[in-house]
Amino acid sequence: MGELKRTQLYDIHVSSGATMVDFGGWEMPVQYPTGIVAEHLYTRHVCSLFDVSHMGRLLIEGPDRIKFLQHVVSSNVMGLDLNKAQYCIIPDEDGSAIDDAYLYCFEDDRLLLVVNASNTDKDIAHLNKYLKDYDCTITNITAEYASIAVQGPKSKDMLMELAGGAALTEPVKNALNTLTMEGRKVLIAKTGYTGEPLGYEVFIKSADAEWMWNRLIELGAKPAGLGARDTLRLEAGMPLYGHEMGLDPNGVPMPIFAVSLARFAVSFSPQKGDYVGREFLAKQYEAFKRVNNRDFSDLAALPRRIMPITLLDKGVMRGGMAVYQGEKQVGWVTSGTMVPYYVTEGEGLQTEILDETAKRAIGMSYIDCNILEDDVVEVDVRGKRLKAVIPPYHMRVDAPPFARPILYRPKEAEKAVFAEDNMPKATALLKKALDNHLWRQRRCINLIPSENTPSRAVQMLCASDPAFRYAEHRKVKSFYDSDIFYYQGTKFIDEVERNLVEQMRQYLGCREVETRVISGQMSNAATFSALVDWKNRLDRKHDAKRLGYVLNNHIIKGGHLSAQPMGALRDYIAVDPVTERSAVVNFPVCPDNTYKIDVEETKKVIEKYRPELIIFGKSMVLHKEPVAAIRKFVDEQGIPTTIMYDMAHVLGLIGDSFQKPFEEGAEIVTGSTHKTFFGSQRGVIGVNYKKDELKYGLWETIESRAFPGSVSNHHLGSQLGLLMAAYEMNQFKAEYQKAIIDSAKHFAKCLKAEGLNVAGDPAIDYTETHQVIVSVGYGIGPEIAERLEQNNVIVNYQATPDEEGFTASGALRMGVSEMVRFGFTFDDFKKLASLMADCILRNKDISEDVARLRSEHLEMQYCFKGKEFEAALAGLIENLGV
Amino acid sequence: MNYPAELKYSKSHEWVKMQGDVAVIGISDFAQDALGDVVFINLPGVGDSVDMGAAFGDVESVKAVSDLVSPVSGEIIEVNEALADAPEMLNSDPYGSWIIKVSGITSTEDLLDAAAYEAFCAEEA
Repeated sequence: MGELKRTQLYDIHVSSGATMVDFGGWEMPVQYPTGIVAEHLYTRHVCSLFDVSHMGRLLIEGPDRIKFLQHVVSSNVMGLDLNKAQYCIIPDEDGSAIDDAYLYCFEDDRLLLVVNASNTDKDIAHLNKYLKDYDCTITNITAEYASIAVQGPKSKDMLMELAGGAALTEPVKNALNTLTMEGRKVLIAKTGYTGEPLGYEVFIKSADAEWMWNRLIELGAKPAGLGARDTLRLEAGMPLYGHEMGLDPNGVPMPIFAVSLARFAVSFSPQKGDYVGREFLAKQYEAFKRVNNRDFSDLAALPRRIMPITLLDKGVMRGGMAVYQGEKQVGWVTSGTMVPYYVTEGEGLQTEILDETAKRAIGMSYIDCNILEDDVVEVDVRGKRLKAVIPPYHMRVDAPPFARPILYRPKEAEKAVFAEDNMPKATALLKKALDNHLWRQRRCINLIPSENTPSRAVQMLCASDPAFRYAEHRKVKSFYDSDIFYYQGTKFIDEVERNLVEQMRQYLGCREVETRVISGQMSNAATFSALVDWKNRLDRKHDAKRLGYVLNNHIIKGGHLSAQPMGALRDYIAVDPVTERSAVVNFPVCPDNTYKIDVEETKKVIEKYRPELIIFGKSMVLHKEPVAAIRKFVDEQGIPTTIMYDMAHVLGLIGDSFQKPFEEGAEIVTGSTHKTFFGSQRGVIGVNYKKDELKYGLWETIESRAFPGSVSNHHLGSQLGLLMAAYEMNQFKAEYQKAIIDSAKHFAKCLKAEGLNVAGDPAIDYTETHQVIVSVGYGIGPEIAERLEQNNVIVNYQATPDEEGFTASGALRMGVSEMVRFGFTFDDFKKLASLMADCILRNKDISEDVARLRSEHLEMQYCFKGKEFEAALAGLIENLGV
Repeated sequence: MNYPAELKYSKSHEWVKMQGDVAVIGISDFAQDALGDVVFINLPGVGDSVDMGAAFGDVESVKAVSDLVSPVSGEIIEVNEALADAPEMLNSDPYGSWIIKVSGITSTEDLLDAAAYEAFCAEEA
């Protein structure tokens, strides 16, 4: 093996006892003494190190670097932001793959292209063919930098230890950062080839390679070789050049779109223009779309595709084996082996990963496009036909911190439903409902910040007659904008709605209010719909243009789901043709407090993107939103935009103790009426446009997108209940709001004093709202929340801004509103903090103590009392038959 | 690497232990190490006849498949079925994990003793 190249870590591999092999001209470790199976499992369970220094690292520099790359790689390089990476393919003129690669943007003025080791020379020769037309250079820095993949659920902890506790990257795939670790510069990417939801690849100076490897081993990582790298990527369903890309076993080039990942790696953006292989890729893409619509009439451009395959019979599949359906060969296995996995027990969030392991024979196949998921095929395993099936996937990574193996389960036959006597079920339902009511209302301490118990008066009104009626109405210009009702019997609810609008105008501090929306999400959807409609009002002859750039809070930083493209914004947000992504930008947050918007950085973002709509508001919210500062900035800069504040969580806090959104410059406020507000479960929209303003037209559009745009029946019972809640709120808000914020701060301090890790800024007593966030440990939020529920404390688990998603939640989100309303004092919150610490930190049974504390506070506060009111309420209750 | 002196070895890396006129056959330490993690074994059935120099089954490691070659001709009288569920025993205890027992032996290839086999392996490595 004298001719072979060696990486910076060669000596370490040899001294660790690795079996070294020739891999693409490099002398690389295929496995260490523990073996591939143990290495695979250790990666999935803890953390493994892979020396990937053999991969080609090419630096692309010069003014034309983006133009050049747009021409030679498949992806949209314009869509690659600073500190982001993207997967791409280097296509040949005929639409087949020269190689697949990863493109990293660590610095504004250069890009790093990482290619397969065995293809590096071929890739450079190919790229050089096109280079002469561009003012940029390619420098092969493979020898100057080493690269280590650090993959597995503990990778984040280990690297953070080296980084002195600093956050590594944004907690999303393909995020990058440049850090200093123990005095050494480290380029870090949240990328990898194992499918691990927590996995990083680091680039370091060659001289630092051994230091990094050894430090990570000291911290508990173990080395893994190319063997485990292959079984891990296979389980993750990731293609390997030479197997799932390149030439098929007959030597025919496989189309790039045979790999479904290509959909994300190939761009046809007009901004990208023509590029190498585009014409053929476009044909493949058309075929790809047909095939995915199960139209198999024209398969010329895409006869076969890469699909996962699982062996049903006992045995092992290997790359190159033929796949049959009946007597017809339908393709080949491209990669296959037996991979190990940890056995699990239980279901859903309670799924427990056991120490027990098992193995399964899985692979990938290149098979005819008309073979579909769940189809059974046969694999020729050395002359024997073994049964196999096409599963949807082998593994899922959407429940971090663990990659979850998905074992093939045959589709269950649909269960027949038989009619039977429902009387016993009906009776049982009543009993269960009563049990639940008594448990939640008498024994539980409810700290869900988006919930509240409405007063008895509100509850009774919700159940009274209008609850079953319709009251559609709209303003008609022929009658000077009088509201015209479509049905009779609606005079009472007409009066109720007018009074409710009046009370809400007073409460919100604005000119116009829409109360027919029946949820906070609907408030947002109706508003977004109106913004689109209003934008297009002068041109109805074309498809409506969606909203251009929208600035909002990222969901991971606490942004509302309903203000995201995955929520209510979905059908109203444009795709930016340059980046080919939703035209959403996020508020930057303070580096030292990720719960708080960074105003100065936000100004830069606004100047750059000039968003059409700015949406303040969060569902994980510890701070006031900087509405006034941003209003001032956009006015000074003359940036035309609409400022909206989604106050769903904090609607009940509007006032001196928190924020006055319209005084600060918001134009539109949306919200739900049942979180900090006292109401039944509904939504509300308020705007502050004057009748003579141009944007008053937007308000009228909002009204029409509420009705008839969003609701026909607007749930009159709960609207009636909301009027009572609005009366209560306007009457008691000053004391209630102060009590909420003081109690939240006090509760946060008590939890901290009990030794819990309270998030937020201690300088403001952690919170300026009703919410308190407590970190309980990475990934164990769901477990602690479940334990608290068993002890009669209801909270919700929450991913903090550094965490990957709800299954990786390491925090609890709590709100004090409901308990304040039930009269909790500072002393009660102190007791509660102490009990919760016992439960969270010491796993003590606190269920009876909690029930006792709750039972001392059954009478609602901040609501109307007195003889006359109570007599009227009693009359209502009696006649409702309660 | 371990080469027990009481066993005989074939050049295709099986070991043979004669118990009276019954040949007990497994794979050597060298073989399991070269294979890496064994994840699957294809076992023959009791009553099958085996031919000297021909495959009687195969073992799959994560990396590759390898035929099990019989050093004797005869009839299989017993199969170590436990290996089907735990093929990794071939890695952890190659000499304790026999694969088949063959009787009615009609021919046997020239087997190596431990020292000769060790030398042979050293050459192959």
